[in-house]
Amino acid sequence: MKAMLIDTTRCVGCRGCQVACKQWNGLPAEETQFFGGAGYQNPRDLSSKTWTLLTYNEAQVGDHYDWVYGKLQCMHCQEPACAASCPTSAMEKLAEGPVVYHTSRCLGCRYCMLACPFQVIRFDWFSANPYVSKCTMCADRVLSGQEPSCVKSCPTDALVFGDREILVAEAHRRIEENPRKYVHHVFGEREVGGTCVLHLSTVPFELLGYRSDLPEKSLRRWTEPAMKPIPYIVAGLSLALGAVAWIVSRRDKRMVEKWVKQVKEMQ
Amino acid sequence: MTGAWIKPQITRYNAVLYLLAALGFVLVVIRFAGGIGRVSNLNDGYPWGFWIGLDILAGIALAAGGFIVAGMVHLFGAHKYHALARPAILTAFLGYLLFIIGLAIDLGRPWMIWQVLFHWNHSSPMFEVSWCVTMYTTVLLLEFLPVVFERFRWRHLLGMWHNFVPWAIILMVTLFTLAMSGSNVWTLLVFTILLLWEVAMRTGLMRRDAQMPVLLVMAGIIFSTLHQSSLGSLLLIIPHKLHPLWFTPVVPVFFLLSAIMIGVGMVIFENIVSARVHKRKPDTHLLAGFARALPVLLGLYLLIKVGDIFRTGAAEYLFMFNSAAIGMWLELVVGVMIPLVLFMTTETRTSEKWLLRGSVFVVAGGIINRLNTVITAVVVEKWAPYHPSWMEIAISLGVLSGGILVMDFIVRNFPVFDDRPALAR
Ligand code: SF4
Ligand code: SF4
Repeated sequence: MKAMLIDTTRCVGCRGCQVACKQWNGLPAEETQFFGGAGYQNPRDLSSKTWTLLTYNEAQVGDHYDWVYGKLQCMHCQEPACAASCPTSAMEKLAEGPVVYHTSRCLGCRYCMLACPFQVIRFDWFSANPYVSKCTMCADRVLSGQEPSCVKSCPTDALVFGDREILVAEAHRRIEENPRKYVHHVFGEREVGGTCVLHLSTVPFELLGYRSDLPEKSLRRWTEPAMKPIPYIVAGLSLALGAVAWIVSRRDKRMVEKWVKQVKEMQ
Repeated sequence: MTGAWIKPQITRYNAVLYLLAALGFVLVVIRFAGGIGRVSNLNDGYPWGFWIGLDILAGIALAAGGFIVAGMVHLFGAHKYHALARPAILTAFLGYLLFIIGLAIDLGRPWMIWQVLFHWNHSSPMFEVSWCVTMYTTVLLLEFLPVVFERFRWRHLLGMWHNFVPWAIILMVTLFTLAMSGSNVWTLLVFTILLLWEVAMRTGLMRRDAQMPVLLVMAGIIFSTLHQSSLGSLLLIIPHKLHPLWFTPVVPVFFLLSAIMIGVGMVIFENIVSARVHKRKPDTHLLAGFARALPVLLGLYLLIKVGDIFRTGAAEYLFMFNSAAIGMWLELVVGVMIPLVLFMTTETRTSEKWLLRGSVFVVAGGIINRLNTVITAVVVEKWAPYHPSWMEIAISLGVLSGGILVMDFIVRNFPVFDDRPALAR
């Protein structure tokens, strides 16, 4: 399974990845605004036109304040909540790694958006024929043996692409070689069952806008116990309710017979 | 056709309903022309909101009376509640139609809904919900058809209906099992069980209910059980977003149990209100017996809800001063504790006035609960909290008003509360 390693300590904030993503996927530019609050990036957040976004965060690094860059995009979970929840399997995990979106099957129910633990799916709120959208890991490129467009564009190798196991090992190697530079955690290695986008950082991941409190088990582990019993319930109820109907019909029959007998005796 | 139609009229009382329906209609046009963002406050952080809470979660729970009463009367042999069955089925049927309209408004591309028939995702509760709804709406339609046949005196169709319905049900439940499990073994098993019951009835081994095919009622119970609970399962995928007071692995059980409470409450409420509107006498003696189930259900719910809150360690959140705690107390006090106390007394259960009041508490509490679960309880980090826009609320109210008007028309023109057509009375 392929994956991407994002080493934010190598990132210089050039946003080549953000532009390359738009170019490869034919996404239009976006009108942007200054905004208050955390972050100094442009635009402020992911949208249906911006599938990956470089965030500019001011954070304390060692003894000084510095810019720390983060990259928002779909994490391509190993057991994606979006794919588990989509009623039509419009979101699908490919064996090669990418989680892809089959536009033509989508109902626009937005259940995937609710389910996604990383908040990366966006919706066309002002369209009469809306779709959801998210990074596809350039599945078309990956399936033909190339690396995603953003990785290709990265001038400092902050982004690298390859087999997931190799990249996980590589991430740990970097931490071990430079334990003071990195937070001792590979974000994405275990979160919600592991993802195919791995992050290394020099500041705690919350400062880059990631949730640090996600469970390690896949979110499917919660829905499975509710979905598995369905056939048992159907078969069980078919049997039990039929039996009830039988018993009741016999009781009714006996009651009617008794009643008829009483009427006859009275006559 | 027999008899003239009693035409709908705009009166002082229902003018508001017409206005709301008209406003809702205009807003729906805007929504379909310009997108969901034009009329709602939903956003990428809060993709679900008021519509899901009210039209779908609450609406479906309110319609639970249909399967409960149909099951009691035609399967569990509680024949004395017969008079409650038709109105409950009609309410449920209209409730589901409203729900489908609500869903069509909420879905981005509702015209693609047929896709769920061809791309089966066994792991998605949403997939289960959409199948159950389709199936159960069909069941309700079939259950309601005899009323239409009677209205037009189509006796021969009624005979055909009795003959055809069991086969349709066997087909539906079997197909459903295949879609849900993807397993031939389960599918065959369910098919065989249903077929055996039907054969038992056709050969006279087992008596059939004179009015409703047993299999039809069974299917109603099966689909309802499954999808009342699977509406709760929808929330299981968001342990990271749902407030601990609401998130629990047994949320499907709570949804089913509370749907039964709310359904019973709604049957009482609707019976009394429509009796008043149509100047009929409500079936108070029946409702009194029916309401005896409520203290049991409410007590059970309270017990396991509180037990579960302590079990998951969420109890501390009950005693904080924030919207979640207030929301939880509100739904428990209004929807469970007050009606529990009320319905425990015989006075409440036998007085029309108090039956109505008690049922209002149950129904209101149920609606609060469902809205809470998708609005109050959903917390998405870094996003400004979501509040429904007035247009979202107006659309829901518009759909509901339209539904009430249609219901009123049907009750006036079809033999719903009485087995005889209204005009023959
Ligand atoms: S990050 Fe979200 S959208 Fe991407 S695969 Fe995971 S659940 Fe799906
Ligand atoms: S919005 Fe589309 S992709 Fe997302 S869950 Fe619904 S149907 Fe699937």
